[in-house]
Amino acid sequence: MAAVVPLEEPAIVCRGLTKRFGTIEALRGVDLAVPRGAVFGLLGPNGAGKTTAIRLWLGLTRPTSGSATVLGEELPPRAALARTGYMPQEVAVYGDLTVAENIALFGRLHGLGDDAIARRTDALLRLVDIPDRRDDLVSTLSGGMRRRMSLAAALVHNPDLLLLDEPTVGVDPELRATFWRFFHRLTARGKTVLITTHYMEEASRCDLVGLLHRGALLARDTPAAIKERTRAENLDDAFLALVRETSEARV
Amino acid sequence: MNARRVLAVARKSLSQFRHDKRTIGFVVGMPLLMVIAFGYTFGGEVSHVRTLVVNDDAGPFADRLLENVTGDALDLVPADSLVAAREDVRTGRAWAVLGFPENFSADLAARRARVLVVLDGTSPPIVAAVLGSLRAAAERAFAGAGAAALSVEEEFVYGSADTRFIDSFAPGIVALAVLLVTSVFSVIIIVREKTGGMLERLFATPLTSGELVVGHALALGVVAFFQTSVVLGAVLLLFQVTVVGSVPFAFGILLLFAVGNQGLGMMLSAAARNELQAIQFIPLILFPSLLLTGVFFPLEAIPEGLRGLSLAVPLTYAGAALKGVMLRGWGVAEVGGDLVALTVYASLTLLGAALLVRRQA
Repeated sequence: MAAVVPLEEPAIVCRGLTKRFGTIEALRGVDLAVPRGAVFGLLGPNGAGKTTAIRLWLGLTRPTSGSATVLGEELPPRAALARTGYMPQEVAVYGDLTVAENIALFGRLHGLGDDAIARRTDALLRLVDIPDRRDDLVSTLSGGMRRRMSLAAALVHNPDLLLLDEPTVGVDPELRATFWRFFHRLTARGKTVLITTHYMEEASRCDLVGLLHRGALLARDTPAAIKERTRAENLDDAFLALVRETSEARV
Repeated sequence: MNARRVLAVARKSLSQFRHDKRTIGFVVGMPLLMVIAFGYTFGGEVSHVRTLVVNDDAGPFADRLLENVTGDALDLVPADSLVAAREDVRTGRAWAVLGFPENFSADLAARRARVLVVLDGTSPPIVAAVLGSLRAAAERAFAGAGAAALSVEEEFVYGSADTRFIDSFAPGIVALAVLLVTSVFSVIIIVREKTGGMLERLFATPLTSGELVVGHALALGVVAFFQTSVVLGAVLLLFQVTVVGSVPFAFGILLLFAVGNQGLGMMLSAAARNELQAIQFIPLILFPSLLLTGVFFPLEAIPEGLRGLSLAVPLTYAGAALKGVMLRGWGVAEVGGDLVALTVYASLTLLGAALLVRRQA
């Protein structure tokens, strides 16, 4: 069924991963493998459990039951964090630091030297298209620019695994296309990119997608295979069909 | 002005309070705590000042005088020799010594009696209590004429009859200023990281919570270094406070105290959900420090039931150590206990901050 057969251990493996907050089950027994060298889209509506999954993989919260490995390391993956880049949904950057200072902070936290940071900063700011804002305070940037800066901060240490929580919200279509070209360039070099989104049309750009609904994984396949299986025109319809299928099966 | 809109704003504000239980507790509890704390501690009479008595008098008059020391201002404790008693004052185990010579009674009859009062003069209220109690006792014991025949020979181990209030206050004020600026500054520092998902992002890197807390403490330490220099410099230069001990040592004590305050600030900050809750902790730090530490009035003026609490307030140790160094010229040997307490304070608060901050991400 899987279109991409991993030759080595997957970047992320989940076995019955479950997270409960009180009576709310944010993730329900998720079994999932994210192969290395792929852009993997974790799709689902708001509240489906996407952010919870990322927080578990980063060791920011602990699973209620089940287990997972990230870059071969069991949760919480302390050592894997050095090779992981994370861009949260909130624009978590320091408004009272300059763009370069923000990027330098994350570079240093990942053990980069100042020369390497300076080189990476130039390249990254060109990539996210704010090369002339290097020494401006982040608080003076527009919302979209801050998001781009946030992405740059996640990339500074050239991570093997990128976890991007809704990275393209508020980014204009032209730059969004640039981002996607860049993500595929990264995977061509063996990096793994995991993106969460609730925009189904964006998901068609992923090599593989996983559909989350109320904490349960409904499907994991290539976008084409999912559309074919559900006989849907697009991923939106495919998702709705899968939700229907699941609730009927439960009844 | 539209009444409906005004009410809408008022209602919104009250609803916000309603959703923040801790703020409600603060609004109601804090004034109550302040009134009670001030009421019990302010204006207290000095009591139970440990005073050693070396009574070599061959006659009955010294005993009669001592019997007339009434009230609870002084705790009179018999001592064997003047040398040993003086040493107790020198090391801070007693505030004063009353020394009656062998021929005290005979001299009194001859109207030329002298009593030696050895004093730690670093606290004017204590000096006043000792001398005042002695004078009142003499009045009662010998009535007019006899009391006039008694002269008091004051011997100051520390300070002098000229020790001003500002001199005795200075160490405490300096410590209090450092407490204020360092704790207020650090009490919002972790809360700020929490807002906007910053803390979560930092913990998604190899950064540990211990590293985060120590990193903040280091930055705050640099700030504290300058603050301490300014505060200590101002007290020394502007008010010409008499310092008999080592200024660098006093500076070191203040820095150690500052680190503990930062730890405390960060710990409380980590326990707060937002800036408003964090700021509410500030009076909780300040009030016990103002009232229960012997900074403004000696510990001997705090009601007995509350005196035990002063041991739980870090400023007690910082104030005592600074007073010892600045006014008495003490060194590590004499203030070692206070330094240990301040080190424990700094370690526990930094550890607490690290543990709490991890749970917040």
